Amino acid sequence: MTKFMWFQLISILTILAILISVCVIEDRLVTNALSDVLNYCYQIEKAVDTHDGILNNDVAMLVDNMEDKWFKHEWKLCYMVNHKSIQEIGVEISKIKTYMEEGDRKEFMASLELIKLYEEQYHHFMGASFHNIL
Amino acid sequence: MLTIVLRAILIYLVVLFLYRLMGKRQLGQMQPFELVLTLIIADLATIPMAEISVPVLHGIVPLLTLVLLHFALTLLCKLSSKFSRFISGKPVIVINPDGIDYKALKNLNLSIDDIMEAMRGAGYFKLQEVQYAIMETNGKLSVFPKSECSPLTVGDMNIQVDKSALPINLVSEGKIMKENLNIAKLDSEAVTELLKKAGIKRVKDCLVLSIDKAGAVFAQEYNKKYVTFNSHPLGQVRE
Repeated sequence: MTKFMWFQLISILTILAILISVCVIEDRLVTNALSDVLNYCYQIEKAVDTHDGILNNDVAMLVDNMEDKWFKHEWKLCYMVNHKSIQEIGVEISKIKTYMEEGDRKEFMASLELIKLYEEQYHHFMGASFHNIL
Repeated sequence: MLTIVLRAILIYLVVLFLYRLMGKRQLGQMQPFELVLTLIIADLATIPMAEISVPVLHGIVPLLTLVLLHFALTLLCKLSSKFSRFISGKPVIVINPDGIDYKALKNLNLSIDDIMEAMRGAGYFKLQEVQYAIMETNGKLSVFPKSECSPLTVGDMNIQVDKSALPINLVSEGKIMKENLNIAKLDSEAVTELLKKAGIKRVKDCLVLSIDKAGAVFAQEYNKKYVTFNSHPLGQVRE
């Protein structure tokens, strides 16, 4: 084997390792981010039902936590996913905070439903499936 | 804007590395699958360069995937001649001793004008000069001329000549080529001596200084006419 052939072999193996790592990291990042936010959505829904309203500390704390968590995930996801595809979740979380301050429960719940819908959609189009490949 | 500049540099370096990895064959003798790869790489590289919302990885990952695919195809082509023929096609004789093979020409979707153009590119202007012409898989025409039209060579004349050797550049654009000095078994003092002989005072004034096996020196100072002389016994370039 010549030096160049060694260089090619090492490069090919490195490229293969990079591709595998990128695919695994992306899958884990996306799954973690989406399931975290989805969990918060369900917790917020439960808290709203328990307290029969959105103007309480539990809901406020959960929304703040969800926002923090999402921004942390979004920062990482932007390395892997088109930023435009994930920005809606951040926008809806901001809207939720506004509706909470205004006490608009109907719009608050609608935004929460939208976030859940986005989460499901992202799961649908980000994963490696036959449908997505085609 | 700075992001776009940095992304452009990054993607340029990645594409450059990938082309380097694929070898020089890419540049001059592209097979059909290599041409396809080149076209796709060019397109893929530009997307994340200009679109900031698209991660650079979206450009780099498909590029890396294509290079792996390219290596897999190249390996399969090396292992199986049938597969190679399927992917790259096979050379086709378009001119034989009977003349132009029109059927072969039609199969290749070529016209007489295309063949004449390719022949001229190969240095033959008349059909009667050609015994065989082969359309290679990379789209180039190889011409085998009739004996009476072949260029005369030293071998045809039975003349004894010295083995030719490539000249070695000792100085290029004012800089001593240290690696070439080792090949020529010379040191920097010898270079200074050669420059002195050529009438060049300093190394940095020298545009080019080369020497061949026979000791023939070519030297040129910036913005001046070149000089040639024989350096024996000073310069002896090893074979």
